[in-house]
Amino acid sequence: MTTILVNGAKREVQSPADTPLLYVLRNDLELSGPQFGCGLAQCGACSVLLNGKEVRSCITPLGTAAGKEITTLEGLPARWAKQKGLSEAETAKTLHPVQEAWIAEQTPLCGFCQNGMMIKATELLERVASPTLAQIKEAFTTSGPSPHLCRCGSYTAIIEAVQRASNLMAGRREA
Amino acid sequence: MIVYQEEATSNVTDVFGAKLSRRGFVKSGGALLVGFSLATAEGMQKTALAPGGNSLNAALSESWIELHADNTILIRAGKPDFGTGSVFTAYRQIVAEEIRVPFEAITTVISGDTDRTPDGSGAFDFLQGGMPNLRKAGAYVYQALLDLASAQLGVPKDQLSVKDGVVSGGGKSVSYGELVKNQKLNLTIPVKGELATIFGLTVDGNPPLKPVSEYTIVGRSFPNSVTASKVAAKETWVTDVRLPGMLHARAVHPKTLGSKLISAGPLDKARFPNTQVIVRGNLVGVVAPTEWEAIKAAQQVASGTKWTDWKGLPGDGRLFQFLKEDADWKTTPAVTSAKSKGDVTSALSNSPKKLSATYQLPFLKHAPIGPTMAVADVRSDGTVYVYTHTQNPQALRAGIAHMLSTSVDHVIVRSFAGPGHYGRSNGGNAGAEDEAVILSQAVGKPVRVQWMRQEDFQWSTQSAAAFSDIEMGLDAQGNLTAFEIDHYMPAMQDDRLVGAILAGLPTIPAPNEKGSLFGLQNALHDPWIYDGTPAVLERAYGTAQVGQKSSPLNVGLRDHSMRTPGQYQQNFPREVAITEAAVLAGVDPLQFRIQHAREKRAIAVLESARDASGWQTRLEPESTNGNLRRGRGVSAMFRSGTYWACVAQISVDLTSGAIQVEKITVAVDPGIVINPLQLKRQVEGGAVMGVSMALKEELRFDESGITTNDWRSYPIATMADLPEIKVILMHKPEVGKYGQGSEAANALAAPAIAGALLNATGKVARRIPLKPDYVQSLLRA
Repeated sequence: MTTILVNGAKREVQSPADTPLLYVLRNDLELSGPQFGCGLAQCGACSVLLNGKEVRSCITPLGTAAGKEITTLEGLPARWAKQKGLSEAETAKTLHPVQEAWIAEQTPLCGFCQNGMMIKATELLERVASPTLAQIKEAFTTSGPSPHLCRCGSYTAIIEAVQRASNLMAGRREA
Repeated sequence: MIVYQEEATSNVTDVFGAKLSRRGFVKSGGALLVGFSLATAEGMQKTALAPGGNSLNAALSESWIELHADNTILIRAGKPDFGTGSVFTAYRQIVAEEIRVPFEAITTVISGDTDRTPDGSGAFDFLQGGMPNLRKAGAYVYQALLDLASAQLGVPKDQLSVKDGVVSGGGKSVSYGELVKNQKLNLTIPVKGELATIFGLTVDGNPPLKPVSEYTIVGRSFPNSVTASKVAAKETWVTDVRLPGMLHARAVHPKTLGSKLISAGPLDKARFPNTQVIVRGNLVGVVAPTEWEAIKAAQQVASGTKWTDWKGLPGDGRLFQFLKEDADWKTTPAVTSAKSKGDVTSALSNSPKKLSATYQLPFLKHAPIGPTMAVADVRSDGTVYVYTHTQNPQALRAGIAHMLSTSVDHVIVRSFAGPGHYGRSNGGNAGAEDEAVILSQAVGKPVRVQWMRQEDFQWSTQSAAAFSDIEMGLDAQGNLTAFEIDHYMPAMQDDRLVGAILAGLPTIPAPNEKGSLFGLQNALHDPWIYDGTPAVLERAYGTAQVGQKSSPLNVGLRDHSMRTPGQYQQNFPREVAITEAAVLAGVDPLQFRIQHAREKRAIAVLESARDASGWQTRLEPESTNGNLRRGRGVSAMFRSGTYWACVAQISVDLTSGAIQVEKITVAVDPGIVINPLQLKRQVEGGAVMGVSMALKEELRFDESGITTNDWRSYPIATMADLPEIKVILMHKPEVGKYGQGSEAANALAAPAIAGALLNATGKVARRIPLKPDYVQSLLRA
């Protein structure tokens, strides 16, 4: 039995401690955000935030995540609501600005990689409120164990969505 | 061929060849416009399958479009969405336009499930030369609605007008919802084709279509409704499908592409007490209650599994020598293009300037971000449910039925969102589906098969390698006098189920040198656009898939269509050669293309790309500071009613050979632009894939099998490789129809980048990928 803290809630799971966190999130907790892309930390489709840092859940053993704060794509709205001190009622109808921007820019093509893209964007924007183009590229290529890969080629739309999200988070509605 | 029985009817009226009949009245308010039943999506699951194995009757328009008393509309399309969003944007826009309702009135879109959509076919060719099935179905429905309104209002049809789903005339009006309220009506429309095949059914006849000049919805940027649910983690992806009692499985695939099983490794029952090993022929499956146990047990079993050895591939280093010298191109006759004309031989001999060269394209992987996976549920009554992510559910259904030697009536395929396949599954399967069915049948429970990353590279199909020989001549004034091109490419479109092959179960035949089932070999795929050339000879030659015939598994390097299939392989050599011809003529390569094109739309896209890119004529390599040289190149293509031109601006590091693509400008004229924002996003994505193919991608294989096994051995473009991308959408309503293929932008980058390299350095690259070591070798030459 391992106790983990996922999207603000304590969850007890039976899986062995060596189970990659990805399978626990997907199969035990039935979360659909993180995706299996490679199992090798080479693509980023499985990314989650672990204590605010983007990690690849496909190579993160359950045991090492115990006691740490895990945020998945599903948890981004609540994470934003908490940061902004929104009420429960407001939280229910809120998306994270990163998600809002991803929709406004119509960023996903197939969308399979976009979980990791949005997790990475959230990590970046929590650290750097108004990133330069170079900082955005650095975040999505050299900052982690591998670049975040999109086979559909949505990188332009990702950059535009990050810039829009940055404006939204700063209260600049006109992106 | 499916023949639908027409039910006995009364009060039949003719609607441009369709038949409208009133079947009676219903009391509840939720009546359908043209519904013979009030079947809901849930109800459909319990419905006995109709003749031909579909629970919907494709001859009834309500199978395509349901219009409800509350003025909401549901549409159904057999083509599943794969990220182009066409089903959720373009199809909605087209139907709303034809029926004259707001875009938002279409509240529900059902696509890709074999028991819940009428027409089949695959996630390709969405706009079908401007005539998707739903456009005609919508046109029939609109005419039927006018007939109904005319009868109800007592106003002649030609005096009626419709706006936002309200019919007006003679001072009276009625909404569509009111027209159909409490009615039970049939509109029977003509259809042709075969459902459970790659192309599916086609709506027939010629109902009057809304004039393009009256369009108000097509041409606007509506969002893709699925995007919001994917972004908010509300979408049910294929990876989320869980059935009661479902087990997890991994396959242990053969050691080589020609290995037969000697013995499956013993399972360590102490470590994996609840795991089963299933062996069917050369297919070894490991089935366990949890995914992690399945993975670990499969690794343990694989380590003890013994296979025969096989060496029947040339290896990537000898590929083009093999294709040129050893492959059989003679069994099937060469195909000559319709554009071939004049006497090329004498024109060449009379040309003062000549050039001949060979161009080479490697095998490529579709490389979806997620490896193939599927859930299958083979029930005790013989019914088979497959839950998967396929570009062609009806074709998969036919393949599964064939494998099990059962009727398609017993097979239902449901499709879900998943990673883009770029053509890999447009003939039905991607890899995991049939293995899931075989294992589910063996254990009597639903089974989920997920391929690992390595398997997805090593056991899936690839885009075929190809080479082309070109000879061309120029006159003293620098005009092309003769252009001869011979294309050589192994067969493509191997839609056999690989699990069925391994298990020794029935499959369709492998494509061979005489042709594949759907003709994706041995044909001219890249229409000639330089009509000012007096003598042209274009030929295509086919051969069997590499290694297949000598493989005891009959596998080898299986090929499958991938974005702009065949055309990308043929356009690269042609467009690089045209740039070389311009250089030989001493003419700007973009102007050279314009001079040799005759079609106005082809010229217009080239001019647009020239103007938007800031094109500068420069015939000599640039002498810039330091180690960097900058260059520009151009490419052009015509595909499925759409004209394309692309300008690439690159810099080359003369020391390392590294190319950075700085800017890509794409001009596209598809005729009518349906949804500008979605088209722009698709073109941007295609351009990035094109840069990736041009600079990075190449399948690696040795004599036994594919050695590419992860994203390090098959690198694709990252955000670091992203150029500035400028997309020019040329909306041409006067063309009168919408062309195809936003995805086709992937073919444009490689020849434009090679042209830019020539412009920057004076060195011509006649193969891709343009990796630094290859560019270095060119620079040293």
